[in-house]
Amino acid sequence: MSDARQTDRAARGASGLAAGLTGAAHLAKPLLSFGFILAIWVAVTAAGLVPEQIFPAPLSVWQAAVEMAANGTLGNDLAVSLRRAATGFAIGTTLGVTLGLLTGRVALVRTLLNPFLTLLRPIPAIALVPVAIVWFGIGEGSKYFVISYTVFLTVWFNTHHGMQYIPDIYLRASRSLGASRMREFVQVVIPAAAPHIFAGIRLGVALAFLSLVAAELSGASSGLGYRLQEARQYIRTDRMFALLIILGVLGAVVDLIVHWIGKKLVHWQQG
Amino acid sequence: MTEGHVRVDNITIEFKGKQGPITALAPTTLHLAPGSFTALIGPSGCGKSTLMNAIAGFVRPASGAITLDGREITGPGKDVGVIFQQYALFPWFTALGNVKFGLKRLGLPKAELHDRAMAALEEVGLAQHARKFPQELSGGMKQRVAIARTFAFGPKVMMMDEPFGALDAQTRVVMHDLLIDIWQKRRATVLFVTHDVDEALLLADRVCVMSQSPGRIIRDYALDLPRPRSLRAQAETLLPIREEIISLLHPSHSSH
Repeated sequence: MSDARQTDRAARGASGLAAGLTGAAHLAKPLLSFGFILAIWVAVTAAGLVPEQIFPAPLSVWQAAVEMAANGTLGNDLAVSLRRAATGFAIGTTLGVTLGLLTGRVALVRTLLNPFLTLLRPIPAIALVPVAIVWFGIGEGSKYFVISYTVFLTVWFNTHHGMQYIPDIYLRASRSLGASRMREFVQVVIPAAAPHIFAGIRLGVALAFLSLVAAELSGASSGLGYRLQEARQYIRTDRMFALLIILGVLGAVVDLIVHWIGKKLVHWQQG
Repeated sequence: MTEGHVRVDNITIEFKGKQGPITALAPTTLHLAPGSFTALIGPSGCGKSTLMNAIAGFVRPASGAITLDGREITGPGKDVGVIFQQYALFPWFTALGNVKFGLKRLGLPKAELHDRAMAALEEVGLAQHARKFPQELSGGMKQRVAIARTFAFGPKVMMMDEPFGALDAQTRVVMHDLLIDIWQKRRATVLFVTHDVDEALLLADRVCVMSQSPGRIIRDYALDLPRPRSLRAQAETLLPIREEIISLLHPSHSSH
C-alpha cells in the first residue's frame, strides 16, 4: 500500500515537472518573438538611421518608464486608467448580458431594440467622445460613458447571437423533462449561451482598453491616455513608447486572466 | 387502469417548403397499448422521427389527433419521456446533475432528490460515475445517463429516436439488455425508432414498417416471443419476417 502511495507521489511529482516544462515551452515562443523584435529595435537605433527624438532606443524607453514610475505619475495614471476601464467594463458587461438575454428570449424586446442597437454598432467609440463631454463634462462620467457604451454593444451582440444558436435538442430535452420556462432559462438557455457570452466579454475587455485611450486623449487630466497626449506636447517619444508598451502588456495580461476565468466557468466547452 | 395508452388517429404532418407545404406524414393511425414495446422502422426520410416527434409534442399535426389516456397531446410534457440519438445531456451538469434536472419538478426534498437520482444511476450501472461530466463519458455511458434521466421521473410513455444508432455493435448489445431490463421493471409504453431490422426484431413486441414520400405505415407485425431473443434461437419466426422487412425497405434488391 505504501508502495502504491509512493509511486503515486512519484507520478504526481513527474507530472508537476512535466507541467512546469510545458509551461516553459509555452513561454519560449513569445519570448523568442519579443527578443527578435528587440534585437531589430536595438540594431536600428544603434545604427543611427533615425533621430533618437523620433524613434527612441530601448534603453531610453526603459529610462523614461523608470522616471515616470519614480515621480509617481505612472502609478497614479495606471490606477486612474484601470479604474475607468474596470468601471466602464462592469457597467457595459452587466447591461450587455442583461439586454442580450432579453432580446434573445423576449420577442417584443427584440422587435423594439434590435434594429436600433444594430445601427449603433458601427459608430466608433472615439466619435462619441464629444457627445460624452457635452453630456457628462470632462470628469469621470464621460469616460465611464464612452467605455461602458462600447463594451455594452459588443457584449450585447455576442450574448444575443449566442441565444440564437442554442441547439434545439437542449430545449426539447428540457421541455420533455418537464422544466418550467423559468428553469429552462436559468439552467439550460444561459449555460448553453455561456460560451458566446464569454467570447463577447473577452472582446469587451479589449474594447474597454481601446475606448479608454480614446476617452482619455481629450478632456482628461490623468490616466495613461492623457499622459500619451502630454508626451506629444513635449515630443517625448521615449515616454510614448513606454506608455504604449505598458498599455499593450496590461491589455494582454487582463485578456489572459479573463480567458482563464472563462475556461474555468465554461469548463465544458472544448477548444 | 389505463396508463400510457397512446392513440394516434389519422394524423397528417406537413412542413413548410419553398413551393407550399410538404407532406411529411400521410394520414397515419397507430395505437400503442399500455406497456407495449413497438419498434418503428423505415428508410431515412420516411417520417418515422416526425411521427415520434408528434407524439413527444414537439411537432403539431396538421390534422387528426394524438391522445394519451384520452387527453390530447398539445406539447412536450411530463408523461412522455424522450431519448435522443445524440443523448441531449447538458454538458454543464454532471451525470447526477442531469438526472436531478429531470426529477426537479417532483418537488422532492433535497436529500430525497439526491437519493432518487443516485438510485436511477445505480440502475444503469453508473453510480460510480455520478460526478463526471458527460464529455468525460463514453457514448454508451452517455446514453445510460440519458435513460436514467428519463426513466427516473416515471413517464408513462417513452419515445426513443434511434437511441443506439451512434454506438458500436458490442455496446449496443449491452444497451439492449439494459433497456429491456428497465422497461420490464417500469412497464412504460415504448416507441422505438430505428433503421436496424435486427434491433427491432430483438427488442419489440410489435414492428411497424414505414415507407417514404409520403411517410406512412405499410406493415405491422406482432412478435409474441420470449426474451432474451436471438435471431438464431428464434430463427423460424424471425428470419422470414426479417427477409420480408428487408425487401420492403430495399425493394430494388428483391425485384431481380
